[in-house]
Amino acid sequence: MSATSEDHVGPGLKAAALAVIAFLQLPVIVVVLAAFSTTSYLTIPPQGLTLAWFGKVLSDPTYLSAIRMSLFLAFGSTAISLAIGVAAAYALFRKAVPGADAITSFLMAPLVLPAVVIGVAVLQYYSLIGLRGSLFGLLMAHVVITAPYVVRSALASLSGIDLATEEAARVLGATGFEAFRLVTLPQIGPGLVAGALFAFITSLDNVPVTIFLISASQTTLPVLIFTSVEMGVDPSVAAISTLLIVVTGLAMLFAERRTGFHRFI
Amino acid sequence: MIRMRHGLMLLAPLALMLLVFFLLPVVMMLPVSFREYTPGAGLTPGVWTFENYTQIITDDYYLEVIWRTLGLGFGVTLACLLLGYPLAYFIVRGPERWRTPLILLVIFPMMLNLVVRSFGWIALLSNRGLINNLLTDLGLIATPIKLMFNLTGLMIGLTHIYLPFMVLMLVAAIRNVSRDVEAAAATLGSSRVHVFTSVTLPLSTPGILAGSILVFVLTISALVTPRMLGGPTYKVMATVIYDEYMQTLDWPSGSALAFALTAIAIGVIWASSRLTRSWAGMT
Repeated sequence: MSATSEDHVGPGLKAAALAVIAFLQLPVIVVVLAAFSTTSYLTIPPQGLTLAWFGKVLSDPTYLSAIRMSLFLAFGSTAISLAIGVAAAYALFRKAVPGADAITSFLMAPLVLPAVVIGVAVLQYYSLIGLRGSLFGLLMAHVVITAPYVVRSALASLSGIDLATEEAARVLGATGFEAFRLVTLPQIGPGLVAGALFAFITSLDNVPVTIFLISASQTTLPVLIFTSVEMGVDPSVAAISTLLIVVTGLAMLFAERRTGFHRFI
Repeated sequence: MIRMRHGLMLLAPLALMLLVFFLLPVVMMLPVSFREYTPGAGLTPGVWTFENYTQIITDDYYLEVIWRTLGLGFGVTLACLLLGYPLAYFIVRGPERWRTPLILLVIFPMMLNLVVRSFGWIALLSNRGLINNLLTDLGLIATPIKLMFNLTGLMIGLTHIYLPFMVLMLVAAIRNVSRDVEAAAATLGSSRVHVFTSVTLPLSTPGILAGSILVFVLTISALVTPRMLGGPTYKVMATVIYDEYMQTLDWPSGSALAFALTAIAIGVIWASSRLTRSWAGMT
């Protein structure tokens, strides 16, 4: 007897699955609708369509500087995490250091601790050593929360490759770094793209650590949205959110087409 | 084999970075949790106390917050399982051509900014939100029903936030259940429901456990969604920590609560890994 893929799934299961998918997209759809709505609260159907909220957000210096700040932190922490994270993962993979298992657990520890705990611990520490409100301190905190993702994806990708290819390159005269760059790196590339994207999004998304460390003059986009929502819902928040939704969606589709991104989650 | 000296050089930047900006801050928070705090005056010099920890398990306010946090953890985990399993099963066993689009639709909200998603739920659940407007227009309710700043709002919002994690864990688990074993049970006369309850479900238990632990730990640690959908009054552990650090400036109480939250999270992870290991030993 052959089991076709359809014989296990009835119409009831299909309906339930699609309902859950719809539930997952619901708040996204609502935010996009609110961004184009002329009224300051949401109605179905929307009362009228306008692009005014987008214009308002994109000409607001507070939002613009928050966007710059968020992008700086996300690019900066991803780049640093990639450099030091891939190096560390490679050392662990080659068993070049003693106690590799314990070290791996230590490198992953920032994922286990609640983010709010990391936030308050670093706040207290920075107040003590005079780094509170500094851009450098904030960037380092973002590296702490993004690096584990890079290490994890690098370790996962490395475990799938054949070391013999790198050894062959060494035998043929390549230096250790050349062998890594020309032979190993291309093989783990797709996994690293997924890890880097995860790190980038983690930094761009972060509130529970960032909110404790920002100074009065510099804030990030999610923290700005978070604090402005506390003062009341405003369609310009929906507009900036919609821009984030579009950027996230495009980044995901790009990564999917380039690397088959969903396989790495 | 590369030499150990090279290995240490490769490892050092990240290890030192985490030592200075992660481990040291957490360790240095420990003494603060044993200090005494006086409103207005700050830390009392020279006084050390266990009061910050004992109040967590004796004070009614803290107990209420802790039970609420744990209750939310269980509730959200259960809701994610009940909603996530059918979807994960459909993704794995359903039509092949649907697989990638559905997985992408599960990942997309997960990639999306947490603040944006919580904002979406505010637009839906608030008194002048979409759901209340719709129900009022349909004449089903006269005054808005309270969907935010209470358990309902947090349950809906947090379930939405952590459901994708559960689905991805379950997809991986169900994928590992061999089609041949299911087919064998069916050939031997099991009904479709019986195949599911006696073969597929038990064999996907490791994934159910892993997904549940992940969702539970993420839920009790969450700050942003509880703050946005719970408002200033309906509090969980993370939002109380936030308030004690940013508003009342009672850092000793805040740090003790932070360690309590960490202990619960790590305890749950540790217990589950023990459980998984003993199960693996039985089979």
